[in-house]
Amino acid sequence: MLDFTIFILLPLFASFLCYIVKNIKIHFFISFFVAIFHLVLSLLVFNKLYHTILPTYFGIDSISRFFILILSNVYFWVVIVSYNYLKRPYSEKVEESKKYYFLLLNFYLASNSAAMLSNHFGMYWVASEATTLSVAPLIYYYRNEESLEAMWKYMFTVSIGIAFAFIGILFLSLASKNILYDGRQLFYWELIKNASKLNTIWLKASFIFIFVGLSTKIGIAPMHSGDVDATSNAPSPIAALMSGSLRLTALLGVLRIFQIVTFSSTYSFAKSIMIIGSLLSLFVAFAYMFKANNYKRLLAYSSVEHLGIITLGIATGGLAFVGALYHSLYNSINKIVLFLMAGNIHYKYKSREIESVKSVFKNLPITGWLFLISVLAILGIPPFGIFFSEIKIFEGLIISNQWFILVAIMFFLLFIFVNMSKKVFEILFKEDDLFSNNYVKKEKFELIHLISIMLLIMLAVIPLSFSNTIYQNILSILNDFGMKI
Amino acid sequence: MENFFSILFSLSLFYVAITFRVKAYVSVLRFQGILLALLLILPFIFKFSIYAIILPLTIVLIKVILIPNYINKIILDLDIKRKIDPTIQQLTFLIIVIASVIIIFLLTSIISNNIELNVIPFASGFSAIVVGIYLIIFRKKLIIHVCGFLILENGIFLISTAIASELPMMIELGILLDVFVVVFLMGIALNRISDTFEGFEVSHLRRLKD
Repeated sequence: MLDFTIFILLPLFASFLCYIVKNIKIHFFISFFVAIFHLVLSLLVFNKLYHTILPTYFGIDSISRFFILILSNVYFWVVIVSYNYLKRPYSEKVEESKKYYFLLLNFYLASNSAAMLSNHFGMYWVASEATTLSVAPLIYYYRNEESLEAMWKYMFTVSIGIAFAFIGILFLSLASKNILYDGRQLFYWELIKNASKLNTIWLKASFIFIFVGLSTKIGIAPMHSGDVDATSNAPSPIAALMSGSLRLTALLGVLRIFQIVTFSSTYSFAKSIMIIGSLLSLFVAFAYMFKANNYKRLLAYSSVEHLGIITLGIATGGLAFVGALYHSLYNSINKIVLFLMAGNIHYKYKSREIESVKSVFKNLPITGWLFLISVLAILGIPPFGIFFSEIKIFEGLIISNQWFILVAIMFFLLFIFVNMSKKVFEILFKEDDLFSNNYVKKEKFELIHLISIMLLIMLAVIPLSFSNTIYQNILSILNDFGMKI
Repeated sequence: MENFFSILFSLSLFYVAITFRVKAYVSVLRFQGILLALLLILPFIFKFSIYAIILPLTIVLIKVILIPNYINKIILDLDIKRKIDPTIQQLTFLIIVIASVIIIFLLTSIISNNIELNVIPFASGFSAIVVGIYLIIFRKKLIIHVCGFLILENGIFLISTAIASELPMMIELGILLDVFVVVFLMGIALNRISDTFEGFEVSHLRRLKD
């Protein structure tokens, strides 16, 4: 029961405390301790040092062990950074948002943990809808027109998307009619056990509805628009949180239904739909990079691209599946650094347009370097994680003889590489008289920079250390999906 | 009896298609909420149990009282114009709705040959989902979008009763709570939108583009 308390009840209680207490510093300390407890427990659970006993509708398996670690990790860093972020003076209106910031953050942690630990589709649905609700007001942090529009669009598209996913869940219970007893329907393991007996037509319909519905939240094309708007207009820590963990929460739902499908005759059908979705997302990112004029949107589209790659890896199976899981871990870490540095640039220049941000390297040298390194890391330059996981996915594609897809992906990635680095170099190096004289003051080394350096080191060390625990866990996920390398 | 309520439910969709008044949408939401609550009580008329009462009562509380009152309050507070400005003619819209409903009913009856299914509630629910999406596409006012979303949710609820494999009560309650909070947040957002953009129409939301 202790695990359930720390994972879900403690953050809930913390958000209640944040409601009562009005001091933001106290909010921060409460959230910080919650984050530490959460991280320590998820590390223990991940290393199987703690035996979990969870109530009905909740359960832990290798896949939730992996995803909850990613969530804890992202959340921990985001909370640490948040206090410094909140201290920055912005405008009068933002003061109002600060009161609810940590409250909503804690509620987000509780609902996201519940989504990841659920073992029942209904519970998963309720919890993941709650994550949307907790993040939506945070998108509106700056209280300006853009953020308001972004929040409205995000809330609307995702709510409708999730409603569609719910129709999919209902179809799933239709597919299992007369096979599973009442009251045991919609539990993951029951469905997996009886996957081959499920009604094929309803299973197919269910997969389409769940995949399309949740792809509004994952940010897979063609349903990515609300998600991109939200990530590009949210404050940086929230954008990092969304790219690093919220998209994966939605991906988890797709993984759950995919796990059922792998044991049925619908497998190849589901595979092709996911591959189409992922190729479309890569194409959308590829097309956007040509005309990008907003660097935060650029990063949001980079998330669309990487979630597309992850989906592709999952659909391909085998070694690519392993690569995709590694990719989701590395992507989540990398996105924190990227968005935090982009936030620093935005704070200094007060603009998200690539046009009006020039010579960052001169004015913000530390931020500039870190931004450059993290962009190179996300583009797949060794020794950072993304490189290794992408190689694994490509290898998986070769082994399964999907040459056509591999060539298409290589083509898209090449142009994304060229265009994205072009835009980023424009921000970093292009000289401009107007800006070079304005900021004479030297940039101070702040906590955000230290954390970014630590995260970048982490990103390089994890793949190079060949961590056995992560590998074993991923292998057992693979085993749960009935796949082999 | 179940079929009778479902048909009433579908008829309310036609009313949505032709009405001009914003308040009529709210009344339709109330009416649909009552129908859903009645549908849930039906199986328990002869075998009373306290658990069977909780869910219908919550539906009445949330879908019949809280949400419609809240939307009415928004309409009053923001002084939204009573009439909607349709993007397409009402008659065309009605024809589209009727055609969609007929197609859905036909398709459902074809599907039901293969699998055991309550045709009329299932098809009515699905029609509500489609009409909800139409409202979001064809209407300009954001408040109508919220109503469209709620009609869509009602449709999903009807389908879930048609499938008859009940979700656990705790989860049903969670779903209702989520829907309520969504509407609540949308209401707050609408308030802000009316402050910042001085309007409630989707045409104001054009700032974010690639």
